[in-house]
Amino acid sequence: MNTKKIRISQSVASVITAFVGVVVLMIVFSIMNPNFIKGDSIMALLRSIVPFLLVGIGQAYVCITGNIDLSIGSVLGMSAMISATMMCNGSHPIVAVLVSFVACMAIGFINGVLVGKFKLPPFIGTLGTMTIGRGIAQLANNNYNTDNIGSEGAAQAFKNLFYYGKFLGLYNGVWIALIVWALFFYVLSFTRSGRHIYAIGSNVDAARLSGVDVFATTTKAYMVSSFCAFLTGLVTMAQSGMGSMDAGMSYEMYAVAAAVIGGVSTLGGSGLLVGVIAGAAVWAILQSGLTFAHVPVAFRNIVIGLIVVICVLFDVLRRNGKKTGKKNNSEKPAAEKAGAAK
Amino acid sequence: MERGQNMSEYAVSMEHITKTFPGVKALDDVQLHLRTGEVMALLGENGAGKSTLMKILSGVYTRDSGDITIFGHKVEGDLNTKQAQELGVAIIHQELNMCQHLTVANNMFLGREIVKGGRLDTAEMNRQAVEQLAKLGIHDLAPDTIVGDLPVGRQQMVEIAKALLVNAKVLVMDEPSSALSNAEIEEMFRIVKELRSQGCAIVYISHRLQELHHIVDSVTIMRDGHYITEGKFTDFTMEQIIANMVGREITNQFPRDTVERGKKVLEVRHLKAGRAVKDVSFEAYEGEVLGFSGLVGAGRTETMRAIFGADLKDGGEVILDGKSLTIHSPADAIKQGIVLAPEDRKKDGLCTKLSIRDNIALPNLDLICSQIGTVLRKKENTMIEKGKSSLTIKMSSADVEAGSLSGGNQQKVVVAKWLARNSRVVIFDEPTRGIDVAAKVEIYQIINQLKKAGIVVIIVSSELPEVMGISDRILVMCNGRITGEVDPRSTTEQEIMTYATQFGSNE
Repeated sequence: MNTKKIRISQSVASVITAFVGVVVLMIVFSIMNPNFIKGDSIMALLRSIVPFLLVGIGQAYVCITGNIDLSIGSVLGMSAMISATMMCNGSHPIVAVLVSFVACMAIGFINGVLVGKFKLPPFIGTLGTMTIGRGIAQLANNNYNTDNIGSEGAAQAFKNLFYYGKFLGLYNGVWIALIVWALFFYVLSFTRSGRHIYAIGSNVDAARLSGVDVFATTTKAYMVSSFCAFLTGLVTMAQSGMGSMDAGMSYEMYAVAAAVIGGVSTLGGSGLLVGVIAGAAVWAILQSGLTFAHVPVAFRNIVIGLIVVICVLFDVLRRNGKKTGKKNNSEKPAAEKAGAAK
Repeated sequence: MERGQNMSEYAVSMEHITKTFPGVKALDDVQLHLRTGEVMALLGENGAGKSTLMKILSGVYTRDSGDITIFGHKVEGDLNTKQAQELGVAIIHQELNMCQHLTVANNMFLGREIVKGGRLDTAEMNRQAVEQLAKLGIHDLAPDTIVGDLPVGRQQMVEIAKALLVNAKVLVMDEPSSALSNAEIEEMFRIVKELRSQGCAIVYISHRLQELHHIVDSVTIMRDGHYITEGKFTDFTMEQIIANMVGREITNQFPRDTVERGKKVLEVRHLKAGRAVKDVSFEAYEGEVLGFSGLVGAGRTETMRAIFGADLKDGGEVILDGKSLTIHSPADAIKQGIVLAPEDRKKDGLCTKLSIRDNIALPNLDLICSQIGTVLRKKENTMIEKGKSSLTIKMSSADVEAGSLSGGNQQKVVVAKWLARNSRVVIFDEPTRGIDVAAKVEIYQIINQLKKAGIVVIIVSSELPEVMGISDRILVMCNGRITGEVDPRSTTEQEIMTYATQFGSNE
């Protein structure tokens, strides 16, 4: 029996499904409105994928370890607010970005300590840091959104670097997302750390007894997540030119959606980063497609929420189905004819 | 008990049962005949199809073809779990299905709670629970005890009582003794005999062939999805049973090579850990297999886990090659040359959702990674090949999910994980639990190879014949202490059991 593709095909199958979803959605929306696939719209669409892809990568890391990160949206907000506030107060963008980086990574580290060391349920632990992070974002500019960071010199360079500039025909934001994706794809698929991330998501006890440092690995995943949220914060801040206290609201949810639609299991142990590209694309296309089609916001939310639930449902059903159906039978020596010995 | 040929005397008869899973014929024209008031051992290696057959009997799987008759009632069409239950079939699984946080009575009445006037009638349920337990001869178990606080053996009794509550007349027991201590096994045997005398028919699945003669009346043997033979237990010799199971003669169940004992490698001094390990000191030498025997709960597993850094130590010293080690985590132990293949492979040994490749590589990534941490595929493949060939792991590819393998092959993966390193001490905790005879012998041979390579092998085993057959020296533990040391070549099971029950008076 050819069992070779069992694991691969399951992950790959979800990835393929997600990409098929992308194509189908593209077709549907362009039939509804042919402007949808005009050059400019496509470029805009690509750019709108960026934040979802970035946070999706982070959430995928955390999900594969079998945990969840609810603090992503708040970390995004912190990143935008801290950097914008400092820039408005005259700090050089490099300094502002560095300070914001440290603050965001601290949240990731704390998540790692809470979940990886003190074994808090990830949902509760990161719910706490989510609230704290939002508080910090609000506190950064004394409970006000910031002014525009301006359009001279370094500030404009910052905006161009993270959002408005282009390189080889693609917006810089898209490049950032691609580079980050490639880096973390490599780490997850081809390195020791990546193996450890899958291992603790699959069976944390077995991983520990195999010498995996569960605390360090959990913390790494959370810090990747915070790093991605931090970058997303910079991208969105560069786009609007100012820090908004609401920046990143609900992004933890978008991140879960991008990861899950892309075939990452919320139960841990499986998922491919390739899928997250499709997951983020589905998300972005739905958002903009439904806008193009003049679907009211409330209805959009319902559609999108349903899609997430359905994806998770499929994942859970598939796993449960396997548990009961497969046991002990997939690996059997070719039955030999055996006569009774008596 | 007369063995009748009349069909109506069978509690259960299954004829020409065939079951195919995608790509695999799990059962091919299998038959089974179970009489009332009889305990039948259903024997076969892992993957022989015993579990599949029993799942068909209990309605978990549906058969492709074949006839099932239960107490004269011929099953038409598919048999589902509910029908099976109504016909009196119940399975006691190897892994118990208990809600650990609920009471004994709650568990027994789970799903069929007694309700009076819209409220749970706890008093009545407790009363009936006590009554049911009494029928099994258990009088000292309060129905409001939390199940999680009970030892495994007691939990199993509750599970049996639960099955009897719905009038089970055919009881399938899948590896019931594998997690029990010897005293608990005796208790279980007593209950099985009690049930038999009450007219229950019992299918008893076990890999511990040595225990069968206590309770078994008849045997049915399967191999590779086929029915092989059946008959009265007393008509078979142990050698014949094994030969029928594996399809060939296993000449030496416990191949023990004798190697010159070398220098002292490992020394453990006054180890204390939690409540289970009170004060353990021992030494282990090059070229020897050191066996640890004792009852379940004696602290053997906990001792090993503490040495390996899996559990916290409260005191004591671990000395390797004359050097005192600092071990805070398994990672530290592995780095310094001590590895442990844990007892519960599903829980501690394997990442079942990951591939065989990932599992074998996991503890050895430091050996096959470049400086920046990239896994080097070539080195990895070499490592996997080595593991695959030293233990014949049956798999179509190393990329198969480890969880899809049979128990024996899963265990081989767990062992293979630790062979790639040049360790000084390899600890095996119950390395052959729940696996078939042929796989056992392979693991014994690996143990011998390690011994010859000068590696200290420590083996914890609850099976006396095994620990006596494979070890060069046996330490017996009881109640968190080492209570005796015996030479397996000259000792007796009685001597070991004497040490194993030497509970200290100073407790």
